Amino acid sequence: MNRQEKEEYLREYALLKAQGKPFFPYAVAKDSIMAVIVMAVIITMSIVLGAELGPKADPTTTTYVPRPEWYFFFLFELLRIIKPPELVPLATIGIPTICMILMILVPFVDRSPERRPERRPIATTFGIFVIAAMAYLTYLGANAGSPNEIEREPPAQIAAAGGQELAHWEAGKQVTAQSGCLACHKIGENGNDGPGPPLTEIGARLPKEALARTLINPTAPMPSFQDLPPEKFDALVDFLATLK
Amino acid sequence: MKLKLPAPPIPEQLKPAPRRPGERKPSASDTLKEGGTSAVAWVDERTSLSGGARWMMFRKVPKGTNWFYTLGSATMFAFLNQAMTGVFLAMYYDPSPTNAYESTRFITNEAFLGEFVRGMHKWGSTVMVILIFLHMGRTFFFGAYKYPRELNWVVGAILLILTMVMSFTGYLLPFDQRSYWATIVGVNINGTGPLVGPYLSDFLRAGPDFGATTLSRFYAIHMLLIPGLIAALIGAHLYLVAKLGTTAPPWLKAESDPELRKESK
Amino acid sequence: MAKDRRQTKSKYTADRNIPGAFEGETVTRRRFMTGTTHVAGAVAASAFALPALGFALGPVFEKVERRWEAVGAPDDFADDTYIPKVITETPGIGEVGKTTVYVRRHNESIDGPQKDEYDGFIAISTRCMHLGCPVRFVPASERFICPCHGGVYDFQGKVDGGPPVRPLDRFYTRIRDGQVEIGPRFSVNSELRRFSPRDPGQELDGIGQYVYPSRPTIRKLPNT
Repeated sequence: MNRQEKEEYLREYALLKAQGKPFFPYAVAKDSIMAVIVMAVIITMSIVLGAELGPKADPTTTTYVPRPEWYFFFLFELLRIIKPPELVPLATIGIPTICMILMILVPFVDRSPERRPERRPIATTFGIFVIAAMAYLTYLGANAGSPNEIEREPPAQIAAAGGQELAHWEAGKQVTAQSGCLACHKIGENGNDGPGPPLTEIGARLPKEALARTLINPTAPMPSFQDLPPEKFDALVDFLATLK
Repeated sequence: MKLKLPAPPIPEQLKPAPRRPGERKPSASDTLKEGGTSAVAWVDERTSLSGGARWMMFRKVPKGTNWFYTLGSATMFAFLNQAMTGVFLAMYYDPSPTNAYESTRFITNEAFLGEFVRGMHKWGSTVMVILIFLHMGRTFFFGAYKYPRELNWVVGAILLILTMVMSFTGYLLPFDQRSYWATIVGVNINGTGPLVGPYLSDFLRAGPDFGATTLSRFYAIHMLLIPGLIAALIGAHLYLVAKLGTTAPPWLKAESDPELRKESK
Repeated sequence: MAKDRRQTKSKYTADRNIPGAFEGETVTRRRFMTGTTHVAGAVAASAFALPALGFALGPVFEKVERRWEAVGAPDDFADDTYIPKVITETPGIGEVGKTTVYVRRHNESIDGPQKDEYDGFIAISTRCMHLGCPVRFVPASERFICPCHGGVYDFQGKVDGGPPVRPLDRFYTRIRDGQVEIGPRFSVNSELRRFSPRDPGQELDGIGQYVYPSRPTIRKLPNT
C-alpha cells in the first residue's frame, strides 16, 4: 500500500465512521446479546453433555488407545499421515511452526489495498484452502479407528442366519482384531494404511483357499499365522472371506 | 407536649439552606441518585477516567457494523467464563500425581454444582476455540488485517496460539488416561526439536520422566503464566481496536454526502 | 533546529535539543544517569529472573539414581514370546511412576550371540519411539503395535512400518540371587547398538545422536 492508498483508505474510513452510530449502546447491545447466546450454549452443553472423567491415568497400560481433544485432531492426523521416520520432526515441529509464522506474517505478505474477498482471489482461495485442509484432517483424525478393534456389521445373510454362523463370524472378527492384522492393513476406518494392502474388500479379490495359503505362507514382512489354533485360523479365514 | 431538642451549635455556613418556596422536599431516591453522582464525580476528580470511558464507549462504529463484529467480544466473554470457572475449580483441585485424579473426581461427583462448573470450563474451552477461529476467519475474509491494523492481527494471532496452549495444558489436568497420554505425546513433540528439543522436554517434565512435579508445572503454566499473558494481550488488542476503530464491511462505500465530507476534514 | 542538533558540539543538553533538557544539564550527566538507569534496572530484573529460571531448569541436571528391580525367576521367561512385567521407573509417585516392560530370554537364533552379562534377557519398553504412546505386543503376529499414529515393530522391537524413528527402547537386565532384575533404560539404533537413553521421536542413526544429545546426568552403563 503506498501513501496515496493509505490516505484514501483513511479518508473513506473517516466518512464511514462519521455515518455510523456510537459504540455504546448500539454495538454493545449486539455484543451483549451474543454474550447471552454464548453463555446459553456453554451452559446447555455443560448440562446436556456433562463433564466426563475417563479412567485414571495408567502408564502401565498396553490396551488404551490415546486420542486428543477434538481441536487437536488436525495435528494428530498430521502425525499419522506423515509416515517416513525421517520426516517426523517436520510433522511435529516443522509444519506447525511454519504455519504459525505464516499466520503472524499475513498482513506483511498481503499488502494490497483491496479488501473485498471476491476481489482478492489469491487470499480468499488460500483462506478457504486452509479451512478445508484443517476440516479434512480433523474429519480423518476424528474417524481414526483403533488398531485393536474392527467396527463392522455382519453381512446381511449371516446376520439373517444368526445362531452358529453369526457367532463364528463374530469370533473371526475378534481373532482378526487381536492378531495385529490392523497394524499393517486397513479394514474400513480401522487400522493403518500400509505397509500392507487394505483388506476392506479382500473377500472380493481372493477366494478362501488363497486367503488361507497367504496366511500360512506369506511374503515378508508379513508373519505366518499357521501357529494359530485351527478353530481360530478357520474363523479368521472365514471372516476375511466375508469382507466384500 | 412536644419536646424540642435544642439545635446543635453548627456554624452558620454549614447549616442546610432553607427550602425555597415551591421547592419539593427531596425524596429518598433523589438523595440516593445525588449520592451516586457525587461518588462518581469524586472518583473522576481524582482519576479523570471519564474522558477515557467516553472515548471508549461513545466512539462511532462505522456504518454497516453487523453480527459478524460480535465474534471478538464473544471470544473475550468466553475467556472471562474460563477465568471465573477456573478460579473456582482451583479451590478444589490438587495438582499432584497421586491426588489430581481424586480431586477431579471429587469435583465431578461430589462437590455441589461441581460437574456443572467443570462442564462450563470444559465446554467453554471448546466454545472459545471455535469463536476465536471464527473471529479470525471474519478478520481474514473482510481484509481487516490490512493497513492500519497489521499490528492488531499480530496480537490476535499470538492470542490464538496462546489459546491453543491453554487448551492443551488444560486437558492434562483431570489426569485421566487421555490427559496422561496427551502430556506424554505433547512433551515428546517438543523433544523432537533438534539440539534444544531434549532439554526443552526435560524442562517441561521437570526431569527425564513424568515425575512428582510435572503436573504442577503444567498447572502453573495453565493458570498463571498463560492467562496473565492472554489478559495483557487482550488489553492491547482492545486498545488498538478502540484507537483504530473496527472496519466497515469491505463492500460498503460511504455515501457521498457533501455535508459529511465537509465535516470530516 | 534539527540540523543544529547534530552539528553543535555544545556540552549542554539544552543546546543540542535533547528532549527534557533543563538549565545547566550537561550531555555527560545525561549519559551517566541514563546508563545508571539501564544497569540498575537490568540488575534488579535479573535478580528475580535468573534465580527463578535456574529454579525451573534445575531438574534437567538433577542426577537420577539407577535402580534394579527383580521381576521373577529366570525359568518364568520363554525365548519365543514376551511376558509383560510392571516395574517402577520413578519411585515416590505411586501408580504414575510405573511402566510395563516386555521380557523374554535371549534367543541366539534371533538375537545372535549374547553380548555381555546385561544381555541374558531382553526387556523391551512399551513406549512407542514415535511420540511415546503405549505399544502392545500381539503374539499372533509377533508384532508390537502402537495405537496412536500407526507404528509397528517386529519381534525384536525394530521398526516394521509407520513413523517411529528407531527401535523400541530396552532395559538392562541381569541375574542376582536367582532373580531376573530389570535395570536402567537405554536406547538403541536400527542396528540395536546401545546408546544413552533418549526421548521418543529422536533419531539415533547417522547424525541423529548429535542432533539429539543425551541428558548429561543419565548415561548408559559404562563399557556396554
